[in-house]
Amino acid sequence: MELDLKSLNKKNIETLKSLKKEREKVIHDSTSNPIKNNYVANELAKTLYPNIQHIKIADITEETQDTKTFVLVPNINAGTKKLAYFKPGQYITLAANIEGGIYNRPYTISCSPKNAIEDNTYTITIRKRPNGIVSNYFFDKVKIDDEFDISCPSGEFYYERLRDAKNVIAIAGGNGINPFMSMAEAIVDGILDIKLTIIYGVKTKEDILFHKRLNELSNKNNLIKVVYVLSEEIVPEYETGLISKEIIDKYLENENSFFVCGSLGLYEHMNQILGEYNLPKKYIRHESFFGRTDFRGVEEYNVKVKTCDKEINITCKSRETLLAAMEKNGIKAPSKCHVGECGFCRSRLRMGKVKMIDNSLREADKDYNYIHPCVAFPESDIIIEIPN
Amino acid sequence: MNEKYDVIVIGAGNAGLIAALELVKSEKKVLVLEKNNVPGGAATSFVKGRFEFEAALNELCEYGTKENPGEVYKLFEKLGVNEKLEFNNTLEAFNVYCRDTSMHYEMPFGINEFIAKMEEYVPKSSEALKKFFYLAEECKNAIFYLEENKEYVDTNYLKKNFPNFLKVATSNVDKVLDILKLPKKAQEILSTYWLYFGSPTSTLSFVHFASIVYSFISKGSQIPSKKSHQISLTLAEEIEHLGGEIKYLSTVKEILFKDKKIAGVLLENGDIYETKHLISNISPNTLYSNMMPEPLIPSSAIKLTNSRVLGARGFSIFLGLNQSAKDLGLDNYNYYIYDSLNSEKEYQNMSNIKNTSCVATILNNVVNSASPKGTTIMHFTKLFMGDTFSKNITEKNYFEIKDKIAEDIIDDFEVTTGIVIKPYIEEIEIKTPVTYAKYFDTPDGVIFGYKATGMDNYLPRMISLDEENYIKNLRFCGGFDVKLSGYCGTYLSGDLAARLTLKDIKMEGSDE
Repeated sequence: MELDLKSLNKKNIETLKSLKKEREKVIHDSTSNPIKNNYVANELAKTLYPNIQHIKIADITEETQDTKTFVLVPNINAGTKKLAYFKPGQYITLAANIEGGIYNRPYTISCSPKNAIEDNTYTITIRKRPNGIVSNYFFDKVKIDDEFDISCPSGEFYYERLRDAKNVIAIAGGNGINPFMSMAEAIVDGILDIKLTIIYGVKTKEDILFHKRLNELSNKNNLIKVVYVLSEEIVPEYETGLISKEIIDKYLENENSFFVCGSLGLYEHMNQILGEYNLPKKYIRHESFFGRTDFRGVEEYNVKVKTCDKEINITCKSRETLLAAMEKNGIKAPSKCHVGECGFCRSRLRMGKVKMIDNSLREADKDYNYIHPCVAFPESDIIIEIPN
Repeated sequence: MNEKYDVIVIGAGNAGLIAALELVKSEKKVLVLEKNNVPGGAATSFVKGRFEFEAALNELCEYGTKENPGEVYKLFEKLGVNEKLEFNNTLEAFNVYCRDTSMHYEMPFGINEFIAKMEEYVPKSSEALKKFFYLAEECKNAIFYLEENKEYVDTNYLKKNFPNFLKVATSNVDKVLDILKLPKKAQEILSTYWLYFGSPTSTLSFVHFASIVYSFISKGSQIPSKKSHQISLTLAEEIEHLGGEIKYLSTVKEILFKDKKIAGVLLENGDIYETKHLISNISPNTLYSNMMPEPLIPSSAIKLTNSRVLGARGFSIFLGLNQSAKDLGLDNYNYYIYDSLNSEKEYQNMSNIKNTSCVATILNNVVNSASPKGTTIMHFTKLFMGDTFSKNITEKNYFEIKDKIAEDIIDDFEVTTGIVIKPYIEEIEIKTPVTYAKYFDTPDGVIFGYKATGMDNYLPRMISLDEENYIKNLRFCGGFDVKLSGYCGTYLSGDLAARLTLKDIKMEGSDE
């Protein structure tokens, strides 16, 4: 094909040489000042998503006989100047070294994001759980000025304006009130623009966490309403029994988003009740940090853990997760959510068989035997490779 | 004793993985250091609710098919990974909406089909368009020849076989399309794809643009069945299978030198690994300013880095919709939403935070199993230039602003196409330059490397490669390197970096 390119200067191989020269000139004429490295996006990424935040315990309050609230502040000596901002409903994962074990535990931040920005504090509330190594340690041993490392705020359990209905029905059981405390505080602080009805199920009036503050918040702001549902006590003006469709019905508008946080028992109960509304999945959000523990096996398996530079032999019971066994044995395995959602503990199963629940593995990961050890129970001897 | 490696690759992005695989195949002892916990860099996926979202890939160019293979296909064939992957052909070349004129054009793959369709939209465009593709093919072949024979370019061969290429080698897209007498409207439709270069057609090099558009239209584009994570993981597996090592959650703190020569790397956790050869899959900006003592950076390297313009910053919205694409009326794979088909005007729009021009893709229309039955994965890419995004955000308003930008983009998409999507959002994820800065450490969260403009277009970068190897035994690869950003460019740049490193190793052998 003949192309008429005459109007371009008749250039030949010199074209390429001239390009090279011109480029050399551009470089030659450029500045030799230090290369800029303080870009806004990178600085903000460090502020919003720090890999690690060093904190100190600044205050401890006893809420109920088995629950304490801890105020966290940055540990400036360890290099953290300020705490990262977060969305109401997010959690941080706290690392604790206890008797030779290295444990990571997710705790929802219960204060307003405003506290992070203005006072440089987070608040977490921990309930003592039977056999809970970290919760018992926090309840019994931790004191003011103790130092810990926590992750950046994580998790997806927050109001998403472009997805959720503005009328939010929050269903809380026991300690599951934490994310909704943060949401309620954020509404009062003008950070969150939703109508929030918290339906809070507990055994007795005594078990209500943040009782006084919840009443203050709902009195202060008519976008916040709190309904207490007592299962083991009858108190005037409080709902009695389990959270029911009849109770929920009173607070519904045309479009509603349900946020459910509490024990596995609460989920099963709510799945049944909310199922009756026949809602699209998008309207029901869940958060739980309790993995399933109803495995009854008594077997104990040998587990070889391959880390970056060594191999460690441990054992793992059929009713505990591989992550739990590694933590107990002082192996620094990465983890965040502990319910198989965030993918941070993603590891390679090199040998053996596991039972995994509530898993969110990538499709291709399944092809290559990747697992989430935080929700993987052994069914044979195991060889696992962790990314650390 | 610290472990010693023949080559250490910093970053397991597309290019880093390809380079490492090629080197282990040449029986080199290779270590790849990756700061995140999955391979691939941008080429990954993430799970939210019942959706596994593709993180970055809109379409893979230069792959093609077994019968009509592109450069990436051939590279994967050489590396022995094709049979472990499964690709699907995308539907159309581009489906573009112009809001200023309320026009909508849908262009097919296949050169003849493309020319015929253009003739329908723009009568009397076909002769000039045929010439364009003829010239584009020559440019592609010429570039291939130059890359393969960089050191011994045979001037006569070049003149004889690629006479037209030499005439247009320094011209921009607009200039050559004018000379070919392609009607303005046809020029604009043809240039739809300019966005992926992040540079308007007035400054974009014709040879680079034409050679890529030629491959794209003639070979189509592909998408892997299990998201780009499938490609990245397959490459990573192959590296390890052949004895290479990849360490995840491993951030390099400093490049170590001994007698001014590369000696190894120090990680943030204090580990040291020794090597004489480094391949950097991270940007020169990041490597020089964060990982090297300033006195050791040659001033020419600093000058080169300072002379370059950072490319586009990415803003992405990922939607998991609770209806099928068909029920929603989303019938195409891609939706280019532009105010204007004039790339100069659109490029100006990239500096306007309120502008909502974007590209949207519907993964399920190409990969049926991309998400559960009755659901759809939709992905919007919006590009900003300079500090357009950064200058508007603070720690406190960040979440609000990103929601607002996303909302405007979705609203305007609905208005432009008449397709309603908002009520069907089950999952949403918004990634901004801040997110990308966090995951990639690129300056200002750039996702397109350096802007391809003027003397920093592909051809000048390529022919100056040897002169710009300022630090001996350090080779760059990835989106900031010679082959520019995008999957195809980064895969091929990894191949180039491996070949150059093998040459460096060989040279070293002959030195001693």
